[in-house]
Parts: sequence; structure tokens; C-alpha cells
Amino acid sequence: MKIKITAALLLSMLFTVSCTDLDEQLYDQVEDGNFGNTTKEVDALVGGAYSSLRGFSDAISNNFPTCEYVFFLNEVVSDEATIPTRGTNWYDGGQYQDAQRHTWKADNRMILSAWRYNYTGIAKINAIIYQINKSSLSETAKAPIFAELKALRAYYYYNLLDLFGNVPIVTNFEDTDLPTNSTKKQVYDFVEKELTDAIPYLTSNVVYSKLTKNVAYSILARLYLNSQAFIGTARWQDCIDMCQKISGYTLTPDFFANFATENQTSTEIIFAIPYDSKAGTVGNYMNSMSAHYNQKLAISAIGNYPWSANGMCAQPGVYSAFADTDKRKKCMLQGDQINLATGSVIMMDNGEPLTYTENLTSLTDAKENEGVRLAKYEMKAGEQWERDHDFVLIRYAEILMMQAECYVRLGSPELARPFLQLVTARAGEEMPAAIDLDFIDKELLKEFAFEGRRRTDNIRFGTFFGEWWEKGTTPAYRAIFPIPSTVLTTNKNLKQNPGY
Amino acid sequence: MNSKNTKGVLHQMWTAKGAVLLIFMLFLSAGIFAQGKKQVSGTVYDNTGSVLPGASVIEVGTKNGTTTDFDGKFSLQVAVGGAIEVSFIGSTTQKIQITANSNNIEVRLQNDGYALAEVQVVSVGYGKVKKSDLTGAVSTVGADDLVKGTISSTEQVLQGKVAGLNIIRPSGDPAAGSTIRLRGGTSLTASNSPLIVVDGIAGVDINVVQPADIKSVDVLKDASATAIYGSRGANGVIMITTKSGTKGVSVTYSGLSSVGYVTDNLDLLSANQWRGYVRQTNNMDAVDYGGNTNWQKAIEQTAISQSHTLSINSGKADSGFRTSISYLNNEGVIKKSGLERISGNVSGYQFLGDNKEVKFDMGLFANIDKWHPIDYRIFERAYNLNPTIPVYNEDGSFSSVTGNIYQNPVEILTNRTFDNERHRLLGYFKTEVKFLKDFTATANISLEHNAVKGGTYKPSYAVMEGQTEGGFAQRSYAEFTNAQGELYVNYNKVIGKHNISALAGYSYLENIYEGFGAQRGGFVTDAFSYNNLGAGYNYRLGDVYSYKGKSNLVSFYARANYGYDGKYLLTATVRRDGSSRFGENNKWGTFPSASAAWRISNEGFMESSKGWLDNLKLRVGYGVTGNQDGIGEYKSLSILGVGNDSYYDPITKTWSLAYSPKQNPNPDLKWESTEQINVGFDFGLFNRITGSFEYYSKTTKDLLYTYEVPQPPYLVGTMLANVGEMSNKGVELTLNADIVKGDKFNWNANLTLGHNVQKIEKLSNPTYKTDVIYSGSLHGLAGMSGQYSQIIAEGYPVGTFWGFKNAGLDADGKIQYYNAANEVVAESALVDADKRDLGNIQPDLTLGIGMNFTYEKFDLGISGYGMFGQKALNATNMMLNDPNRLPAFNVPDDFLSSGITSSPKYSDYWIEDASLFRIQTVSLGYTLPLKYKNSKVRFYVMGENLFVFTSYKGVDPEIGLNAQDGINQTGKMDTTGLAAPGIDRYNNYPRPTTISVGLNFTLNN
Repeated sequence: MKIKITAALLLSMLFTVSCTDLDEQLYDQVEDGNFGNTTKEVDALVGGAYSSLRGFSDAISNNFPTCEYVFFLNEVVSDEATIPTRGTNWYDGGQYQDAQRHTWKADNRMILSAWRYNYTGIAKINAIIYQINKSSLSETAKAPIFAELKALRAYYYYNLLDLFGNVPIVTNFEDTDLPTNSTKKQVYDFVEKELTDAIPYLTSNVVYSKLTKNVAYSILARLYLNSQAFIGTARWQDCIDMCQKISGYTLTPDFFANFATENQTSTEIIFAIPYDSKAGTVGNYMNSMSAHYNQKLAISAIGNYPWSANGMCAQPGVYSAFADTDKRKKCMLQGDQINLATGSVIMMDNGEPLTYTENLTSLTDAKENEGVRLAKYEMKAGEQWERDHDFVLIRYAEILMMQAECYVRLGSPELARPFLQLVTARAGEEMPAAIDLDFIDKELLKEFAFEGRRRTDNIRFGTFFGEWWEKGTTPAYRAIFPIPSTVLTTNKNLKQNPGY
Repeated sequence: MNSKNTKGVLHQMWTAKGAVLLIFMLFLSAGIFAQGKKQVSGTVYDNTGSVLPGASVIEVGTKNGTTTDFDGKFSLQVAVGGAIEVSFIGSTTQKIQITANSNNIEVRLQNDGYALAEVQVVSVGYGKVKKSDLTGAVSTVGADDLVKGTISSTEQVLQGKVAGLNIIRPSGDPAAGSTIRLRGGTSLTASNSPLIVVDGIAGVDINVVQPADIKSVDVLKDASATAIYGSRGANGVIMITTKSGTKGVSVTYSGLSSVGYVTDNLDLLSANQWRGYVRQTNNMDAVDYGGNTNWQKAIEQTAISQSHTLSINSGKADSGFRTSISYLNNEGVIKKSGLERISGNVSGYQFLGDNKEVKFDMGLFANIDKWHPIDYRIFERAYNLNPTIPVYNEDGSFSSVTGNIYQNPVEILTNRTFDNERHRLLGYFKTEVKFLKDFTATANISLEHNAVKGGTYKPSYAVMEGQTEGGFAQRSYAEFTNAQGELYVNYNKVIGKHNISALAGYSYLENIYEGFGAQRGGFVTDAFSYNNLGAGYNYRLGDVYSYKGKSNLVSFYARANYGYDGKYLLTATVRRDGSSRFGENNKWGTFPSASAAWRISNEGFMESSKGWLDNLKLRVGYGVTGNQDGIGEYKSLSILGVGNDSYYDPITKTWSLAYSPKQNPNPDLKWESTEQINVGFDFGLFNRITGSFEYYSKTTKDLLYTYEVPQPPYLVGTMLANVGEMSNKGVELTLNADIVKGDKFNWNANLTLGHNVQKIEKLSNPTYKTDVIYSGSLHGLAGMSGQYSQIIAEGYPVGTFWGFKNAGLDADGKIQYYNAANEVVAESALVDADKRDLGNIQPDLTLGIGMNFTYEKFDLGISGYGMFGQKALNATNMMLNDPNRLPAFNVPDDFLSSGITSSPKYSDYWIEDASLFRIQTVSLGYTLPLKYKNSKVRFYVMGENLFVFTSYKGVDPEIGLNAQDGINQTGKMDTTGLAAPGIDRYNNYPRPTTISVGLNFTLNN
């Protein structure tokens, strides 16, 4: 009897103390069900959609950690820039050499990074839409928020259309089924419809860095400008019409005001990704990816400038394409680099002077000092690794140039003149007597050098498929990139782009 | 029950324990005397005076009997006037008459000789068993056999001592720990370190216990032994039993002073060799800075170390205590590095009750570490810098030559302040109550607390971050609390030849981690160091942070043992674990095991072999264990958090923080489970040789890995999931021989051998498809961004080097390669399909060997360990043999004669055999007996790391098994995952050779 009582008591004791509650308690994060109910919380969610424009760095794409994913890829395969191998540096499995020669393979990590940059942005927006949909906001309050988010998502899909063509369209966060490809035409239609549907809800005001009506018009204008390249149907007039809806912007008198540290005050920038060192925004250091290690001595007498990597430079021929009178030529560093402390030329580690040359020995074995360097954005002493200048995505000069190009293509080059005049006058250049497509192409190079959009222009003008420095002819299928190999491995529903 | 805070939980546990105690007391005091009989109790000792557990005590002429417990104590109802017979295998039997006055009987059995090892008691988790009754694979190391010397981290005492247990120190930094691997490791991402159990408290930091406080270490190796630890048992369990009051009174001291120095540096060009090269090649651009510097030596120092331990022990029949205090100050051979530790330990026990029914045990361990982490970037710079650059300019300031990865490493070491401090505390209180004759209930409450605080200052004149930030200060604080409560009941019964025991228990564990920190740059003066962060004016988002997280683990466990006549032994265990870290769909896991042993030598038909075969036992076991370490908190949930995701509000022109989804939620997340079969033999021969042989085969399923998932549809590109399968198979041999046993001269030798074969069996399942995972990242090395050197793929072990096979140099000094068809081709002709298996980092054989000689008062000990067959990528060498380096960057001596003209490219040209045998310690001692009560003094000299036999060309072949960057900048080992094992890349903190003198004395009273 006693045994039983004791045993029973003992057992009951065991279960009284049995805490079997295994729910996780969160302290410094919130579960998705508990967020998005106040205006502030909604703002913080929508803000996340914009911050994803800056990109990210993780173990898969241990590459450049920012929005430059798309920037670098578009530049390096164009006739504008190159990343030569310098001795040991910048070989990295041959990914840049392949990009220059247009022999890239599906496992090229730059391509994977561009893919993941866009789809991460899309997935994040899908998650935010799902989150806000669950919130207690009224449907009328939700509508403009959804429009803004979907228009931003359409920007990512525009990038994907341009880069990869036949990409899957995913819009529902809860749907984790592995998607299949959509055709280029389907993606094109999707981008057009999403933007068109969103426009009535978007603000008509000029609001810096937000997806406004003007931004949506600009993306649509880009879509129509490249319509022939994307889907084989020219829509030059639609592009002009869209450009004409854009209002509230003027060219800044100083070209470089668009690339200054405080470029958010520019009257020309339509869409940009804001950066601020105090806000801890990481990335946007393409100057550092280009300048020589010792360039810092030309920026600060005590070398107070972040590390630079001596990588990307202009292709031979780009620097000399600018007239010496062209104010925009200063977007590159050429010649002797002067040590601010000594007043003499900076020495490289190997004892040779740091003098940037336009020509390079070769793509596979360039010298440390070869190639002129990108310096479009301001470089200043004391700058933090986290940069302050905003990354410009769309500026008003592009709207002018689009209209000019479309008029030339429609056979009315004289209608293009007033638009072009604005651009060339600021640069200090003369207008030619007759305006042709070749002039437009050269002007696009000079106006938008190293702004991450040259590949698309090369494709539209057809130069992409011809020969240039360290590159033979390019087959037509390479107008779009292959779907990254690891994406195909993990999603067997996807088909590789034709030709690859 | 509400688990909102630890206090509440602990409070409830205390209350519960109190109630249980009360019930037992009431029950006992109700009286258990029977008419005409008497309760007698006593203690049984062996001939050395140690308590003897498991001795059989039987009332003569009856079947009434019991066995002594692990304190050698027994209690039995015996008829007054009768007698008891006390016996133990290998000992003479004693008969004792029981009178009305008999109580607290002390019995001393005379030992026949051989059975000492059999008497050994082994901790198996929630109880102990005699070694002879073990059915699982367990290795035991006693205090005398632990590695001695300049020990900075407690696991070092086991190096080479246990077959199948590899302890690898990737660095000679006193502040760095080791990687511990038992039987090859079972996980890709999760910790592969065994569970550490100190005095029954599971999951604690091994360094909470100092080597001098260790009484014995039991290593549970197979699943049948570790399954009692369920979801934490897959990597084996190291059970540490600390010293507690033993009979008598004694004061002991042990002390050691040592000198450590670096014996192996890379052979790089000296200033004169460099000048010779420049003259020969007539290099006009080369800059001679006029100095003569060996940059490796410039960052090194002779390390002076000392350690002292003092302890007091007092033990009586009913109670005992022990206290110890120790201090160590181990300097590192790299300037500024080192470890200072002060630690204390108090433990005691007390019996209560007429028949000692209740026993209280308590222990408190505390220590404080202070160290100054060094910046590991100095090594690469020491290899890079031109040897003609002097360390100091003529005015005494540090020389500074601009260049890429070219900062003066001595300046880096000198001009920065890194002060770290760690506090460790472990306390426990254990109550054991005997009731109903055969039952013992145990309640054990413990708390472990581990806190680290850090302070960093990089003054405005210090290169790199100091200058760019205008002075940069950082403070950090992190703490970890591990609160546990255990309640379990043991049952022991001997019925004739049947020996039955059982265990059932419950445990609750709660881990809380939290911390905060802040950093600022921009100081007007460097006077404040890190003590006044408010004085910095540069402030960025992310400069302040705090965090907190919690997990808990709830477990029920049971074990049953049955033995018949000491010949046939069976054990079965089961544990059910519930963890908050697991996903919603897999909160609970069950981990069973069963094992059996047969003592063949006790069979009648073995009678004829008695002359030479002392013991022969066959063991077979099977079990399932888990590993849940790879799952961090909250990994299964869909959560929103703030990262560096700030966004700009153009209306207010301010920045705010965005909230973003952080991970792909995985509600199916669960532990990795390892099934293991173990077959073992234990044997004893000629009264001289003992040993055991083990064969095991284990398969780990549901491998946790951060798998790449397709985007779209997933939010982020990776997801922690249970997918793959890995196997480890191997054999182990342990031998111990008393080669010479004499009055004056003794010679003992021991040997451990382990062989393990690892293979990834699967990497995909219906949801996750992975052909291959690239690992062994070379990212960060020049020209190797995003490049990998290893693969994790089906059919290969972890750490398989995958790349091109070289065909030597051609006439121009270009490295040539083999293509897939084994034709010699140039680098430019290589395609991916030419890559192949280039060997792996897994050793084929691990070996530990020790010999001890005593001649009268002298003793000599030698120990060594080895690992054979493993490959290592000498990435340091690969990067240094670069024709682009000279004249600005230094190169190895060999480079000039090698004629290499190819830029560094990963291939097997740079993969080396990293087999090694290290003479770990050699010690010579002299023991002087003192006249006073068996007291004695021992003096000794000792050499550590005296020699390494290896063909490896780098600084040291012993490279971290999972050191992506070896050790991170705070000097902390990365103990999880197998990201980039076996790669030597600029991070070789040299291992010192150390000579020490020591003194031990024991004063008995």
C-alpha cells in the first residue's frame, strides 16, 4: 500500500514539474502574424521593399554585395567596361574573361547574382503583399500600397525580361510550388499590365526615390524602346507618348551634380536607390571596385579613403570617344595620379608610377595601372566604406534621349534635335548637321557611361553581336543570359534558354 | 506550466524536490524495522582503502542479499545472530557475524590482483556501472593518464588518449580551443563536438572544469551508450567526474613554469636574399628600404608561462569536501597573445540518516579568463612585406609602406587594444534519497552561466580602421545561461544470480542567450581607449545592438539493465526529447537503444584458459541518437526582423528601419538522427595486458544543411532543412600493457588506434535536389573570389578536394594539367569535366601512444599522437609561389629555384599529405617520499611538442578540421559545420615547443 502511495505521489510530482511547453518565445524578432497593423508598421514593411533594391550579400553569391549585381553584369558584357585579370587578381575562375569574350556559361556567378538580386526583391515584395493583406487595413487603404509594391515588382521583372527573357512569373508568397518558365512575350505583357494597372493609384507628385507615376511611365518607356529587341515588335511612338507624360524634371546645369555625395537634391533624378553611411547602407562602391589600391593617396593626403580593388576599367576606345572639351570626360581617371602629400606621382607596390592608360596589354594579363578608371560618382577624403551618394537608376536625360532616338528611328531626325540639344549643350558639345542613329549611339555611351545600362543599348543597336576588343562575333541567342545552373538543378521544372 | 522565466521554473523545481524529499522522509521515519531482524549498514573497501562498489553482501544461508552502491555502501535487514558474507570477483570473501550492536560495519576485502580495472566505475549518464557490467563502448581515462603540461583548454588532456577521439588544435594560440571529433563526426552544419557532461550536468563548457579537478573521464562512444542523451548524443558523450572529498585529509600543490618558442617558420627570402634576387634580375623598379627584417620573427616572442594549483581535501565516512584554486598565465608565441585564468572549485557531500539514506552533493566551479585576441590578418602581412622594410623608422615610429595587404604587422599588434574577459560559473546541488530498500531517487538542480565581455580600441594613428574611422571603439557583452533540473529514480535488485537495475527520469533544460554592444568612431582624443564611447562623434545605424533568445529541451528517459551471474548482460534505454527549436511538425523525437554483453571468460567451458585469459567479453549494441545543435533558435518560424534594412523617407528626409521577412520557414525542421551498430571485445591477458577492440557502423539521416533552394519561389536562396545521409564506419583498438612489473622497475605502455571511413550517402530528397555542394571556399584569396576547393557529394567523404590534377611544370615553368582523358594540357585548355577527386582531409588512421617507466624514485613518461593519410591544401604556399609577387612581396626560398611562372591556380599541385606524428610530451620526474604520513614531493622537467614527423611543407600539418578562416578575429574557434576544413591559408599561429619545470607535493594528515 505504502509503495503504491509513494509511487503515485512520485509520479504525480514528476508530472507536476513536467513543463512540456515547447513553443518558441521571441524576444528580438516578431512572428509574421503579429505585424503590419499600424501605419508605422506598414511603412516599415513597404520600406523593406525599397531597401531590397540595394541588394544583399550571402554565402551563395559571395560577390559584390549590392545593386551592382545587375550593374556589373550589364557593364562587363558591353562595349563600355571590362574586368581584366591583373596578375593573380581578378581571375576568379575566369568569370570576367568569359563575360568580356561573350563566352559566359550558365554557372557564371555574376549571372547567378543578377538572377538572385531580382528574384529576392520579388519574393520580398510578395511576402510584404501577403503580410499587408493579412493586416487589419481597409481594402481602400490597401489598394495604393499594393499598386506601389506591384509597380516596384514590375521593375524587377523588367530587369529579368531584359537579362533572362523567359523567366517564371511568381506573384503569390504562399505558393511554394516550383514554377515553370513564362515566355518573353508573357513576361513583357505582365510588366506592361502590372505598371498600367498600378498607374492610377500612384502619386503624380515628384517624390524622390519612390515609385511614382513618373517612374512607372519611365519603365514603360524603356519597355517600348526595347520592344523590338524583346518581342520583335517596334513601339517607338508608344515610347515617345510615355516619355511625354513625364513631368516635373529638368537637367541639372552641372552634369556631375547627379553623382555628387548629396545627389538626392538633383532635379534630374527620376528614380534612385538612396544610400547613407549613417543609415548603415552597405554597398554602392563601384569606384572602389575600379580604382587602384593606392588611389587613396590622390584623394586624401593621409590616404583616408576606403580600400579599393583595382578591378573594372573602361575598354580601350571609350576614353578617346570623348572629345577633350566634353565635360563628361571627367567620369574617368586617366594618366598620372598625383600623391596629395608629396605632389609627385603615386608609386605602385612594384615601384612603377600609377599612370592609367587607355590601352591594355591583354584581357588575361593586364598590368596594374592599365585601363582608365570609373570615377563618375564623387570620391572624397574621409569617405566611409558605406557610401553616401545615391545610386541613380533613371534620370531625365534618358527620357530626352529616348524620345530623340525614337524620332530618328521613326524617320524624323529633326524632331530629335531639341531633345538632344539639351543634353549636348550641358556637356559642352556641338550638335552635328545631320542626326543619325550612330550619333545617338555614341551620345548614349558618353551620357550614360558606367550607369549600368549599356548592354541593352548595344543589343538594340545590334553592335552587341559584332566584334570589339577581346571579343569575336556573338550569336544572337546570347542577347539573353542563360538561367543559372544551380537554379536549374534545384528546380527541374525550368527549361534553359534556347542556345545554351 | 508557464515557462516565462527561469526563476519560475527553478522555483517550481525546488518546490518539487522539497516535496519529494519530504515524502521520502515521512516514509522512512514510519519505520521499516521488522520483528527479530536488524537493519545493518556498512561500507566495503578494497585493499587500497578505496570504496568498492558492486560487492555482493548476502545473509548467510538465505537468498537475502544486496550489492554495495557506488559509494561502497550497503544496507540489509539481517537476523540478529546471523552473519553476512561480503564478496567480490577477484577478492577474498569475508564473513561477518551480526550482533545486536552491529552497525556501520567496515569491510576491507583483499584484492587478488588483476581485477582493478574491473572494479572501475564508469559514468553512463544518470548512474554508474561497473566496467565489467558495461554493454556499450566506453573508454575511461583516469586522472593519472590525462595529458599534462601547459594546458590552456581542458579538452587537451584527452589528446591521443581515447581511440576514435580526435582532438585537433589548429593553432598554438593559448586562447584558441580545439576541435573534438569522435568517430568522424556526423554532421555537415551542426556541431560535431561530443556532448560534455560534468558531474551529471549535460551540455556544459568543458573549460568550466580545470584539469587538476578531474578525477576521471569516461567517453561514451557508441549509440547504445549515448542514447540516454537522446537528441544530443550523436557525436558521443564525454563524462567528466570531478574530484570530491576522498577519505583522509590532504593538501596538494602542483605548479609549472615553462618557456615556449617557435621552431618552424616559413622559409621566406631574407633581406640579403631579396637583394641578391634584385641584383641578379637587374630589377630597376625594386625599392630597397634599407632594413633587414624577418617579419615572422618580428611578430613572435618567447612565451613564459606558469600555472599553480592548490587543493585541500578532507573526507570522513559521512561527509567530505574538497576545494581547489588555480591560476595560470600562458603567454602566446605571438606578441600580445596569451591567456590568464584564475579558477576555483568547491565540492562536498554529506550523508544523513541512520542508515545514510540521504546524500547531498554540491559543487561550484568558477573561473575568469582574460585574453587579448590578436588580429589574424598579421600572418598574411608578415608573409607579404618586403624584408628590407625595417619594423621601425629611425625616429622610432612604425614603418608604413603603402600597398595592398601591406600594413606593418607589428604595428597592427601593438597599436590596438583588445581586452576580452570570460566568466564561467557552474553550480549544482544533488540530493539522493534511498527508499523502499532498492530505490534511489535523485534530484539535481544546476545552473551554468557564461559571460564574455569585450573591449576594442583602434586609435586614430593605427593603420586601417583606426585611421579611416578617426579612432574606433567597441564594447560588447554576451551571456549564456543554462538552467537544468533533473529528477530520476534508480532501482537496483539482486535476486540470487539475477542482477536487475532500472532508471526512469525527467529533465528540463532552458538555455537563454542575450547580449548587447556598441561601437563608435571619430574620437577627438585617443585618451579614453574604449572606456568612453559617448566621446565618439561618428555614429551609424547598427552601431548599437542587443539581442536575446531562448530554447528549451524537455526529456523523459528510462534504462533497464539485467545481468545473470555476471556473464550475460543486457541494457535497453529510451529517451524522448522535445525541443523548442524543432519545427511545429516535429517537436518530439524518440531515441531507443539496446545492447548485450557476454563475459565468455566466466563460462565453465573457459576453465582451461584461466591461466592466461583473465577476461574476455563480447558486446553488441544498437541505438539511435540525435544531433540538434545545427538548429539555431527560431529557424523553423516565419519571422520578421530588422537588419541593416533601412529605408529613406523622402517626405521627412529621414531614414527609418524596415522590417523584412528573414528566412524561409521550415515547420518540418528536426534533429539529425544517427543509427549506430557497435560490436566490441574487451580482453585481459596474462594479468598484464588489457584492451578492447570496437567495430562500428553509423548512418546519419536527415542531415541538416543550409540547402540552396530555387528562387523563385523561395524568399531567400537557402533554407535549413533535413535532407541528406552520411555514414561512418570504423574500427578502434585500445591496448594497455604492463610490460615490466617489478619492485624497482616498471614499464607500462598504452596504444590507441582508430580508423574511420566516411561517406555521404545522399544529398537529395523529393523536395530538395542537390547534385553537389561546393565547399572549402577560397574566397578572399587573390583571384579566387567565389571559388571552391572541395565538394560535398554523394559517394565522397566531407572535405574531398575537387579540382584539376597537375602534370608538373613545363619548360617555361607553367604548371601543366591532366585533362579527363589523362592527356597533358595547358591551363587554358582545361574544362570543368577535367576536375577530379584529389583526396580528402579525413585521416585513414589516428594513433595515440604512451609509455611510462618508473625506476625506484624516478619516472619517465613519453606520449605522442599521430594522424595519417589526410590531405591538406597548402593555400598559403599556393598564394606565396606567385610570379607576380616579387619584388614588392616576399616569396618562399623555394620559389626562386622552382621556376614557377604560373599565377596561383588551385590544383593538386598545392595539396599535400598532412600525415603527422607528434611527440607530445616527454617528462622526467623524481619523487621524494616525506617522512610525514605518506606525504611526498615530485619534481619534474617536461618537454612539449618536441618534434613532429611530417612531410608537410607549411608551418604545421595539424590544420583545423573546420576552420574556414581557422579562428576568427576574436580568437574563437568555429566549432560548427565543416565549411572549409583542411585548408592552410595564412592563419597558422605557430605551435610552440615548450620546456617546463614543475613541482607537485601532497601532504597527508
